[in-house]
Amino acid sequence: MITTAPVAPANRPRTLMVGTMFATSAALMFFGGLFSIYLSVRSDTLAWGAEWFPEGAISLLPGGMNMATMALSAVTMAWAVYSILNNDRVHAYLAILVTGILGVAVINQTAFYFMDIAIPVDYNEAAVLFYVIIGAHLVMVGLGVFWLGLLLLRTLGGQDTAQHRDLVSSAALYWYATVAVYSFIWLFIYIGK
Amino acid sequence: MSENTTVIERAVTTTDPALLSRYWIGAAGLGLFLSIGVGFLAALERLDLSTASIFDGADVIFQLWSAHRVGLVLLAVLPLILGLATAVVPRQVGASSLVFPRMAAAGFWVWLFGAAITVTGFAVDGGVGAPGATSQTQAVAITLVGIMMVLLGIGATTICVLTTVVAGRSSGMSLGDVPAFSWSMLVAGTMWMLTLPVLMGNLLLVYVDLRGRSAVRFGAEEAIWEQLSWAFTNPQVYLWALPLLGIVADIIPVSVKAKLNTNRMFGAICLLGFVGFGAYAQTYFDLGTPVRQEAFSVVAAFVAVLAMLMALGALAGSLRNGAKETDASSATPLVLAMLSLLLLLVGTVVGALNAVESLDLAGTSAIGAQMIFTLAAMLVGMVAGLSWWGDLVAGRATPQRPLLITGLLLTLGLGLVGVADLINGFNGLNDFTGAVLSEAGNSGSAVDTLNLIVVIGLGMALVGALNGMISGCQHLRSSEPAVANPWGGTTLEWSDNEGSA
Repeated sequence: MITTAPVAPANRPRTLMVGTMFATSAALMFFGGLFSIYLSVRSDTLAWGAEWFPEGAISLLPGGMNMATMALSAVTMAWAVYSILNNDRVHAYLAILVTGILGVAVINQTAFYFMDIAIPVDYNEAAVLFYVIIGAHLVMVGLGVFWLGLLLLRTLGGQDTAQHRDLVSSAALYWYATVAVYSFIWLFIYIGK
Repeated sequence: MSENTTVIERAVTTTDPALLSRYWIGAAGLGLFLSIGVGFLAALERLDLSTASIFDGADVIFQLWSAHRVGLVLLAVLPLILGLATAVVPRQVGASSLVFPRMAAAGFWVWLFGAAITVTGFAVDGGVGAPGATSQTQAVAITLVGIMMVLLGIGATTICVLTTVVAGRSSGMSLGDVPAFSWSMLVAGTMWMLTLPVLMGNLLLVYVDLRGRSAVRFGAEEAIWEQLSWAFTNPQVYLWALPLLGIVADIIPVSVKAKLNTNRMFGAICLLGFVGFGAYAQTYFDLGTPVRQEAFSVVAAFVAVLAMLMALGALAGSLRNGAKETDASSATPLVLAMLSLLLLLVGTVVGALNAVESLDLAGTSAIGAQMIFTLAAMLVGMVAGLSWWGDLVAGRATPQRPLLITGLLLTLGLGLVGVADLINGFNGLNDFTGAVLSEAGNSGSAVDTLNLIVVIGLGMALVGALNGMISGCQHLRSSEPAVANPWGGTTLEWSDNEGSA
């Protein structure tokens, strides 16, 4: 006997959201692995009494500024989702644009800090991990900004509405993950050093 | 697509899951041949380690040895699974295609270019470092980039498969109704997405430390393999073989025309998937004793055996209830499914033995034996899967005899390798032929004899892989039409096929 497809229920899972959840989980595991290595190597190094970051090398100011920027971008992203849900296109344009600009600001601040910091990448293990983790996050933010750009274009074209909000919801999920990753960077690297 | 497009344009831009599936399987077949080939060369050299007379020293032996492992997993087993999943999963869940078909196509092409770069990296004296550190740093960096691309391609396609199962199912089909292979892909794919990014992080760390300057620690050539080895050993290796349980759970009950205890089977798949999470088994996380010898690692190794027994129990119920009505025409997939299960059971038992500290098998060739048994199980299971779903993949009737020969050669050959490596492990032969050849292992006569058996076994597996590739090409050139539902299957992929035949 051949099985036939059952009758369709009213609601189906949103494919883009599901795909984004898997991709975002993968990104979180990527950073989870790197953070685990960072904490483990740091713990070993300090246990041997060796230097981790040189005294005063890691300034809290740029990290704190970036954290504030990222936190603010999470709020503006939520604003964008809320606006789309309410079919408020003007606010949606504004919220997506501001979120993107805040993302660019994070990239700018981090790039400036990379130029400014006086630790070469081959200084020690801490330096390698610092550049890899923050550099990878920079790429994650860059991808997010690119996605927001596409989102803005679609919204301007009137394609994102309360009924078709998958792209906004997915971009928001990804963006929140980006902010969450940065909060760990801020906590473990800039504050914990 | 326009009729003016060339064959190459159509080939490169296709999003047809059946065609992509053939690309994956074809390319992975070549990867399998190459991987077993380099393993064969390394085994040949191991026959007489005192002189390293065939290749130029320990570095080359290490490159071949590591290429064998990396290739088996990333260039053969995973792409073969994804190839089968690309064609079968959408049909099993009642979707017309994979969700995100362009991303699935991009995943394949990124993987293919990554695989080419990886092979090139190994070929130009690169690889994943070498204990003697005389390989070329640039070439090692190329290999790392290649492997990262391979992971990206596998990850992209895995997301498509997972999303198809979760969100692309036929309306009204709950996750509990999903056929076993799709279910196993859901569990395996989810676990891959939780572990492959960690491997990507390891690779990126090594790459950044390696490039353009003296490595601080992560990119030191003698330390590279140590950081990546968790992906190719216990328990992570179980995740690479997890879809096998789904394949056999689809084949056996239909072949013997009996119901399967799906709850028990799905539970076994989840359990093996859970204990197969191996991203923690890195040297960074050693707490005094190696993390692989910690209590939870030992428990996980034994739970893997339990999971296998649970799966076997579920399948034994089907076999017991339906053995009298077994259809002789399904002998090939049924026999190969049974053999693959046996290999996986042996793999989990060897994994448990490796975890027993008093047996002192850590660092010996018994580690390699466990990997070989487990991957051999998946490879033979894949041949069983191709024999079962070959008509869907190729759109032509699948000749069973060549697949049976391929499966038997792989079983016998890799089984011999596993047994010989296991016994050699008890004889104290090191898993890795290190920089100092004299430390590569016990050169007793028993070990030498067993090393010869490894060479013979890999030779047989090589012939099996070659036979599989040749018969695959003949299959695609055959004009015999596909049979709509050759096994009397009751899942959706067969109803689709009946509709199209």
